[in-house]
Amino acid sequence: MTIRKWIERIEGEASVQFEFEKNHVSFATIAFPHSRGMEAILQSKPAMDALVITPRVCGICGHSHLFAAVRAIESVYANCGAPVEISQKAESIRELTLTLELIQNHLKWLYLVIYPELSHLLQEKIADSCRLKGAYAASLATKILAIFAGQWPHSSYMIPGGVTCDPTHVDSIRAEGLLDELIRWFEKELIGITLDEYSHFSSDKAFLTVTGDMEKIEKMLKKAKMHEQGFSYDRYLAMGEHAFSKSSKWVNRRMAKVHSKFVTLEEPYSIGEKTYAKNALYQHNSFETGPLARAMIKGVPFIKQMYRQYQDSTYTRVMARSYEAALLLEHCKKLLHSINLEEPSYIKPLKKITALSGEGIGIVEAPRGSLIHSVILKNGIIDHYRLITPTQWNLSCGSPKTPGPAQKAMIGADSIETATFTFRSFDVCSVCTTH
Amino acid sequence: MKSRPKLLWLQGVTCNGNTHSFLNYPHLSYILETFEFLYHPLLPATYTLEEIASCTQQCDILIFEGAYDPRMMRAGARMETLVQHYGSSATTIIAAGSCASFGGMFKQSDPEYITGLGFDREIAKGPFAKSPKLINLSGCPIHPEWLGYTLRMIADNKVILIDEMHRPKELYAYLAHHGCTRNEYFEWKVDADQFGTKEGCLFYKQGCRGPMTHASCNKILWNDVSSKTRTGSPCFGCTEPDFPRTNMFETKTNMSIPQDVPLGISKRSYLTLTGIAKSFRIPRLEKRLIDDNT
Repeated sequence: MTIRKWIERIEGEASVQFEFEKNHVSFATIAFPHSRGMEAILQSKPAMDALVITPRVCGICGHSHLFAAVRAIESVYANCGAPVEISQKAESIRELTLTLELIQNHLKWLYLVIYPELSHLLQEKIADSCRLKGAYAASLATKILAIFAGQWPHSSYMIPGGVTCDPTHVDSIRAEGLLDELIRWFEKELIGITLDEYSHFSSDKAFLTVTGDMEKIEKMLKKAKMHEQGFSYDRYLAMGEHAFSKSSKWVNRRMAKVHSKFVTLEEPYSIGEKTYAKNALYQHNSFETGPLARAMIKGVPFIKQMYRQYQDSTYTRVMARSYEAALLLEHCKKLLHSINLEEPSYIKPLKKITALSGEGIGIVEAPRGSLIHSVILKNGIIDHYRLITPTQWNLSCGSPKTPGPAQKAMIGADSIETATFTFRSFDVCSVCTTH
Repeated sequence: MKSRPKLLWLQGVTCNGNTHSFLNYPHLSYILETFEFLYHPLLPATYTLEEIASCTQQCDILIFEGAYDPRMMRAGARMETLVQHYGSSATTIIAAGSCASFGGMFKQSDPEYITGLGFDREIAKGPFAKSPKLINLSGCPIHPEWLGYTLRMIADNKVILIDEMHRPKELYAYLAHHGCTRNEYFEWKVDADQFGTKEGCLFYKQGCRGPMTHASCNKILWNDVSSKTRTGSPCFGCTEPDFPRTNMFETKTNMSIPQDVPLGISKRSYLTLTGIAKSFRIPRLEKRLIDDNT
């Protein structure tokens, strides 16, 4: 028996065809029906325009695209023997605003997707106002981001050589005040204990002290038996270099170095349905990317402990993303304190961008995982631009023999509803997938 | 209980940036209490997208995000059908963002077919061309306060004055230049010689479109705190029909004079004033704003 379903609230839609055998999902194909041809739009444009165009790939993680684009252009400079110098201050501000984008993403996902979907799944009603909590907290994060980047969404304030802003202590103090407010909200509404206690959890027993919405969400996850399903490949990949994430892969409980040359794009498996999403693979294998992968690779004690008990179940995946928000809040605090405003925001690249010909690659950790921009410039004009987004890893659509991570995780689900929840545990972004 | 106006948020060719921008609106609970959301891509709503795609409901306000491609399918329904069905019952149609207003960024996906709801760049074209019901809230993305303003004006039965591009005058009569913290540098023609400083005007070299762009970004700040020009980025003119232009970080000049001069100012007046302003040397404006030596 095959049942087709539109899955929405994933930054667009996906069409999923579930195949059932003995009342369980035996296979599912995923199709993303829309594409905007971002790579073609970038073609023949001046390199700097990529900093305006690529954030428009996605309304929820456009800042990550901006960061990947600026890293890609800076890598062309380096490959041309004219490396760009960047101050520590500019590095820290970039990392800070990226981190804030991750936080707003995770909190929106938790309150606007996961919590309501769990309530739907278990028929336990939650108030509509509850969803607005996520929007409120996310708006605090984007407010701090905008102090440095001017606005969110769709800022273009990262440029080769640094950032355009020149903040004073008035700005950084304002940012610290807002971050305090966000942390207080997080402690009061979400966890009921201090962020410091929460972010230093070393065993899952410690979770017993948590109250607030996170306690409810965790209980609901267990009640829905999400710790017993949603297992995927148990292979993880994080390729972006950041203070909050390590570039590596984790296979068979072992870490290994990664290199972008092993990343390939392959045609999706389809049963007669048009899809624009190409599969992203590493050494021709499926890998899970995103917060769970980052936690496994970085060795986050609380998530590793949880993993030992529940492996890469939907439960662990949801908890890893929620928990990452806490770690990133801590990270923001450190970053804000560390910024030395006396340093330059921008150091003008020595070589003119119009004299730049060559290749470059920019990789960042976006909310949903590793995001790769690669570019070829000819005299400063974009000759070729390629985007590989995190959802292309997680939501790749393979054949029954080689299902992608989300496909594999849905196999065995006892209903479309539970399979869909597992699908959502990957935090799907339709617009990024096809771009 | 009085029935609330029915609001439908529909998406065309989009990045969802307008959806996410509006989630920053500080008074979302007022909006949710005042309007019934038939559908929204993220907020709680009465119907699913599939139910909306069956075209059995009617709405009072249609908010459309993204560029309009009549051939596009949403949950199995053709966009042309959806827009005609919901647009005909609606008393107000709001184009949320520049793609819905003029085609914007994603007109470039397929320039032959894709337009805004009532404009194709600056030419009246599209399913609601010349419709008195159409309100364009251009911007890439939409400013949350601009949509909040429009919805509250509708809820209070107040008349929204619009300009020839169907944009509310109270929001778009201003230029992005108004309220820019770099205004004094513009007045005395002191340019920013490079990025990353709070001093200097970005109009002469860095491509700033502030003096030619209808937008209240420096009056109603972004995320309540800032704007592009306040953080050293040029205005890219994202509320205008010609967005996105090319070479957006550079000012086009002819013999070192900006090709485009401030809106409504003749080139001759502009050049005369510039000549005079440039003849003065003003040490205060050439120094850093916050100088640790004084």
